[in-house]
Amino acid sequence: MFPILSWTIRYIFIGLIYYFIYHIIRLIYLDIKHINERQNKQFDSPYLKLVNRKETLDFEIQEFYDLKDVVTLGRSKENDIQILDKFMSSSHAKITMDEDEYFLEDLESVNGTYLNSTQIEDVVKLKSGDRIGLGQVEFLFVKEVD
Amino acid sequence: MRPIGIMVIINALLFGLLFLLVEPLDPSILMAGGILTLLIIISYIIIVKGNMGDQYLFLIISMLSSLGVVMIYRLDPVFGFRQITWYALGVSLYFVSYIIFLWVKNWDRYLYLYIGFGMLLFLLTFALGTTVKGATNWIRVGGFTFQPAEIIKLSFVFFVAAYFTFPEKLKNIYFFLGVVYLHIIFLVFQRDMGMAMLFYGIFISIFYVYYQDYKLFLYNLGASILIVVFGYYTMTHVQVRFEAWLNPWRDIAGRGYQITQSLFAIGTGGFFGTGLGMGSPDFIPEVHTDFIFSAICEEMGVFGGMAVVLLYFILMYRGFKITLTIQNTFRKILALGIILTYSYQTFMIIGGVIKLIPLTGITLPFISYGGSALVSAFIAFGIMQALSKRSQEVEELLDLGEQ
Repeated sequence: MFPILSWTIRYIFIGLIYYFIYHIIRLIYLDIKHINERQNKQFDSPYLKLVNRKETLDFEIQEFYDLKDVVTLGRSKENDIQILDKFMSSSHAKITMDEDEYFLEDLESVNGTYLNSTQIEDVVKLKSGDRIGLGQVEFLFVKEVD
Repeated sequence: MRPIGIMVIINALLFGLLFLLVEPLDPSILMAGGILTLLIIISYIIIVKGNMGDQYLFLIISMLSSLGVVMIYRLDPVFGFRQITWYALGVSLYFVSYIIFLWVKNWDRYLYLYIGFGMLLFLLTFALGTTVKGATNWIRVGGFTFQPAEIIKLSFVFFVAAYFTFPEKLKNIYFFLGVVYLHIIFLVFQRDMGMAMLFYGIFISIFYVYYQDYKLFLYNLGASILIVVFGYYTMTHVQVRFEAWLNPWRDIAGRGYQITQSLFAIGTGGFFGTGLGMGSPDFIPEVHTDFIFSAICEEMGVFGGMAVVLLYFILMYRGFKITLTIQNTFRKILALGIILTYSYQTFMIIGGVIKLIPLTGITLPFISYGGSALVSAFIAFGIMQALSKRSQEVEELLDLGEQ
């Protein structure tokens, strides 16, 4: 009885331990991929960085978004940054550049847009390190100063 | 399934098998396995929830040590239970060293303290040391024996790191070399050749990385070859080891007995092994400490042995990855030193038991039976965990564009 058990378990064991190693290597691979993504990103223009952990959100989202002159955020396809968050309106907010300053504007969204945890009413000026909250998502506004 | 889940299944399978192996059936084995698995799960949750840096380090370490505990239990249940006690102590010290390392700020300032600590322990070993298996490297305190060299290993790495951070603290490089060789000479006098080689390996690698003058590096390398040749002709135990490596078959019953038994064991195992409890690794002397890798190869097969080597590979890879992300010189050298210590140690003992290099008595990290070795390895990797936490913080700062 015991020999048969021991023989079977040795195969299961070897299968499992390689599965374990495979898992760790896969996690490490994802880790490296994440670092490469960050290195590929060009840091010269201002950008939005995701504050939430990517795994906690159940929709497609990027770690970084570069900002152009006018950027709209929302759920519908027409936006520059489309985020399929069910707490976001189809056109939710807009970030515009004027004379090297960036401004955030809420486009009358249902759940509102938050800057550093306070809901914004009017157009506000962004400074580096500000946290922008839309729906379940929170972004960090980063603008390099030379 | 997450890696932690796989580990729990492996532990359940192996401890269940052990329970059936030992006659009469002994429920304490299941209990021991349960305690071990529970400890691993709790510590892993603390590390993940507490955001304590790299989470793979601990996973790989616990996989290795549970394999070790299972194997030691199979060889001798008394040793196995003691090993679990050491494991529990080691895990608590893992967290203690993590906290202390982050709490004390100026680790790079205590150069003289590290030298003093190492020397004091060496002198104590000479004064109070007991001779175990031909090497005078154990201190007996109360009912316990411990191997000071396992702790000195760490203080040595700290010392080398502190020196290369502030080289102006010692008058010139020759003082540094003097202290390094003093460590090694002490070990040679203790007749602990494996440890002496290990210290030399750590020193020469960090020296190669951080010292600009290649001439001095080459002189050191040349001197080491001279010392080896000199040692071979003056010390008989070195000669014995060397001959047992070159041709163990000439004296199978005597000098070559251990290594030939180890080779037989590995050969018997084949690809998939004989199955846990079905082989006879007890024929190898010292199988639970130095030769545990042969026992794993016999009962879990070459594939099991390869899995162990692969686990060490990814552990070392994580270590080097952490080293590369650290900016601060002292912490960078410290991380490099710790990971080099354990990679050389693994290479030396696995190479030794498969007759790739001459055998030196050194433990296989996390798997071999031995309290001081296991505890010091846990302390070292606790520091590594703290270093990985620091390096992650630096990465986050870079993210915010504040540096």
